[in-house]
Amino acid sequence: MVLLEIQNITKIFGGLIALRDVSFDINRSEIVGLIGPNGAGKSTLFNIISGFHHPDKGRILFKDRQINGLQVDRIARMGIGRIFQEPTLFMQETIFENVLSGFHRHYREAAWKALLHTPAANREERIKKNKAIEILEFMELSALSGELAANLPHGRQRVLAIAIALASEPDLLLLDEPVTGMNPSETTTMIEKIRQIRGRGITVLIVEHDMRAVMSLCDRIVVLNLGVKLVEGTPDRIKSDERVIEAYLGKQVI
Amino acid sequence: MKLLNNGVNDRNSRLKLGAIIVALVALIILPLCIESDYIKHLLIMVCIGTILGMTFSMLYSTGLITLGAAAFYAVGAYTSTMLVTSAGLSFWAALPLTVIVAVVLSLGFGAIFVRNAGVAFVIITLIFVQVIVIAAGQVEFLGGWGGIMGIPRPDSLGPVEFTTKQDLYYLILAILLLIIIIYNALYSSRIGRAWRAIKLSPNLAGTLGINAYRYRLLAFVIGSTTAAVAGCFYAHYFQNITPGAFAGWLSIYVQLYAVLGGLEFYILGPAFGAVIMTFVPEYLRVVKEIEPIVTGVLLLIIILFFPGGILGTIKNPPDLSLKSFKSRLSRVKNRLSQGNKS
Repeated sequence: MVLLEIQNITKIFGGLIALRDVSFDINRSEIVGLIGPNGAGKSTLFNIISGFHHPDKGRILFKDRQINGLQVDRIARMGIGRIFQEPTLFMQETIFENVLSGFHRHYREAAWKALLHTPAANREERIKKNKAIEILEFMELSALSGELAANLPHGRQRVLAIAIALASEPDLLLLDEPVTGMNPSETTTMIEKIRQIRGRGITVLIVEHDMRAVMSLCDRIVVLNLGVKLVEGTPDRIKSDERVIEAYLGKQVI
Repeated sequence: MKLLNNGVNDRNSRLKLGAIIVALVALIILPLCIESDYIKHLLIMVCIGTILGMTFSMLYSTGLITLGAAAFYAVGAYTSTMLVTSAGLSFWAALPLTVIVAVVLSLGFGAIFVRNAGVAFVIITLIFVQVIVIAAGQVEFLGGWGGIMGIPRPDSLGPVEFTTKQDLYYLILAILLLIIIIYNALYSSRIGRAWRAIKLSPNLAGTLGINAYRYRLLAFVIGSTTAAVAGCFYAHYFQNITPGAFAGWLSIYVQLYAVLGGLEFYILGPAFGAVIMTFVPEYLRVVKEIEPIVTGVLLLIIILFFPGGILGTIKNPPDLSLKSFKSRLSRVKNRLSQGNKS
């Protein structure tokens, strides 16, 4: 079942073509990798899907509804979560508060009830807090939950970014370089976590330069080069595709 | 952190509760220990200043800086005055009507203003307050530049009268406490969390489904309405209003209350700032002509070297060694030279 349809997306920045006629689908519960050399248009595509940029041509359907042109927060409320390439956290808040902020769109009780601390609102707040604790345990951040986000090492900040995104309970999660800059053992753990995230019923689209991670993780890979979709297929097919090897991987890598 | 770790901070929250009760008792018995009507007047000004500072902080908590905190203070003062003097309503009928007028007007203006973040918002609010002042001055119906005299004191509520400075202090204290309770509830709820999220990272907040525009508009409306309530009290306390009373400096002072007390302390920061900014200049008035200069230099030192404000400095005491002083000095120099270049 198709969750996200990217149809003929073209994006031009001041005469420079960032994406040209890119199309592919993402099915529910898939892990899809998006790879390509620097400047291939991966981040631009991420920004278009999450609403930070608007495409010049083409459309994007999420759960059969067109989402391009909508505001970032509107797209997020429809169920698309993302992490950013650069550490983007609520730096001056604790880990726990960071994750709690992630639940924002899932409150059902009216805000005024929360202000008056009605029993129903208190119960909801308690449930969210327990869920936050559960997510912190899942992402192995429990021990640090009172620490400020700014004080975390880089690798942990990435983990926290994913924890916040999980709290927003997305149907589709966009991960921009989740393991870049991590050491091998952190990378292995993160790969396992992303598999478990898929196990929670979350579809994942991932941009990553670490080929080992991408190849072991993804069901399907889309290769972009200079804004054009080069090829799409299973990791095995991508590994052996000559165009990909030429354009991107280099002949000796795999 | 507050209220987040249920149970974990039991001792802390009990301590906090104790401090609140002590402060409350102190605020209630304070005027009974003071003879001077002038000091009581200053206490009332502290309460008003705290309320206005809190409205600045509320917008600041969403990442917006306003230089127009006095705009709705003026709107509130004029609305209530007109309702009482022209329409003949009692203060207690005019107050809720003023709130409604403020909500409607701030919703209308805020819907336009809040679209612009950053410097644009600062400038718009700065201009807005000037426009309000000039409008009040130019309209004959509002008393023109001479303002309106003889505004009655708040009507008595049954046996409770509002004639002496002491009565009026208790009235504004009650209003202040009510506002603090509401603001505290907001800040510790998911609304306050969303406000901080927008300030700390608008992009991340967006990807979590938080609509920055709507939440900033909410803060603008609540802040403006609060300021209008303060203005309403001000008009009936001073019993006369002139457009000049709401001009530029007031909004700057309001901002200073928040900065001086500590920007990250949305309620206590303005309170501390208002106390200091009200009382210190009074006692510095040795030579009246240079008082603003002395106050200004003091503020400059605090803002440059203690950017956390008074409460921020107490919470995270700065390193007072010579080395850290030098590094801070060079940072300040850098900042100033960058300012010169641009």
